[in-house]
Amino acid sequence: MADLIVSTGSTQLAWQGRLATLLELLEDNCLPVEYQCRSGFCGACRVRLLAGRVRYRQPPLACLSKGEILPCCCVPESDITLALEHPP
Amino acid sequence: MAYTTFSMRHNDQLKEPMFFGQPVNVARYDQQKHVIFEKLIEKQLSFFWRPEEVDVSRDRIDYQRLPAHEQHIFISNLKYQTLLDSIQGRSPNVALLPLVSIPELETWIETWAFSETLHSRSYTHIIRNIVNDPALIFDDIVTNKNIVARARDISRYYDELIEMSNYYHLLGEGQHYINGRYKEISLRQLKQALYLCLMSVNVLEAIRFYVSFACSFAFAERGLMEGNAKIIRLIARDEALHMSGTQHMLNLMRSGADDPEMAEIAQQCHEQSRALFLLAAQQEKQWADYLFKDGSMIGLNRQILHHYVEYITNIRMQAIGMEPAFEKRSHPIPWVNAWLASDNVQVAPQEVEVSSYLVGQIDATITADDLGSFEL
Repeated sequence: MADLIVSTGSTQLAWQGRLATLLELLEDNCLPVEYQCRSGFCGACRVRLLAGRVRYRQPPLACLSKGEILPCCCVPESDITLALEHPP
Repeated sequence: MAYTTFSMRHNDQLKEPMFFGQPVNVARYDQQKHVIFEKLIEKQLSFFWRPEEVDVSRDRIDYQRLPAHEQHIFISNLKYQTLLDSIQGRSPNVALLPLVSIPELETWIETWAFSETLHSRSYTHIIRNIVNDPALIFDDIVTNKNIVARARDISRYYDELIEMSNYYHLLGEGQHYINGRYKEISLRQLKQALYLCLMSVNVLEAIRFYVSFACSFAFAERGLMEGNAKIIRLIARDEALHMSGTQHMLNLMRSGADDPEMAEIAQQCHEQSRALFLLAAQQEKQWADYLFKDGSMIGLNRQILHHYVEYITNIRMQAIGMEPAFEKRSHPIPWVNAWLASDNVQVAPQEVEVSSYLVGQIDATITADDLGSFEL
């Protein structure tokens, strides 16, 4: 099966199954993403998901508006496109 | 409507709004209108800790070696946090419990306020360990003008809500002659006071705490005052959860999903809410100036803290659907996040210095002298 693709503006990354969360992928690639609790309750890492689906191991506790996801506790389920605050 | 601790009137709690419906009668959780609040309760309970578990005895030695301007930074932050948690340990209960009308939210409020009392007790634990006379520190909280200025702005919204809901419970809606003055009491006005109160609580939890947190972690980055940092880390984890709870309340109100009138009020209060954030950001910057008035510390100065306040204010505003107020920038002190990450909080007793472990410890070294007083 082909790798899932995570797109953020100009960057395209291949999802790596060994990673525990989407946040780790973004951090490993030095993309600007905020974090705090890393457990889904503070909401600091929220970003907008423009296309695709993600999956949470546990439903997060932080407030999410429609279209927002918490990279600290989810993994992609399909190819996804994110809107990051500061495009690199 | 008068408050009653147990209404005999049968109601469907699933149809009550979060606030200003029929007071909660049966504390039941088999059916829930907003499940999120029980999830928050469970999370908060899983976070349970006691200040005595953290050994702060080394901090005393560190503290004595700090230069005077750093002692000032350390102690001033403790004073400010003591103030914040003194308010938060009681006010949600006093102000919100008489108004709440669904059981899961009522219990969340109690769980939330209880955990703030742990924070208050931990400040005494820290202060008692580092100075000989804790009274000098505690007594200054109500006289220090840099602290008092903000105390007024924080407690104001609670006090207004409490006063107004007392009149409402006693006299109901209408124009009343109270203490020589006419007062107009309406449910709409009360709802507005509640919304602004929650907004001010959100600002407190989401912004006001963070200057102090950053300073505590800056000491610990240098290997100083580490016991304190361990406690602050536990407090920061709790505060992030409380903030999430308050944001949920605000967002449920804003969306109108809970009480349609609240959505109107939220819109009406938009400018006032923004102003609350801006005022808090400004006050926290002033606080940073006060902290660093006699000198900076390694890794932190007033400019960096100003940027941090702006940075964090932007994030918190966006969380409740507001346009960020400050210029966008990257995190000015990224190492703070490593301290705030809750998966880094070590909880296994063998991994942290748990002083309760040490209580039963005995000195097993015996020399002939120890037996000197025995006679056969």
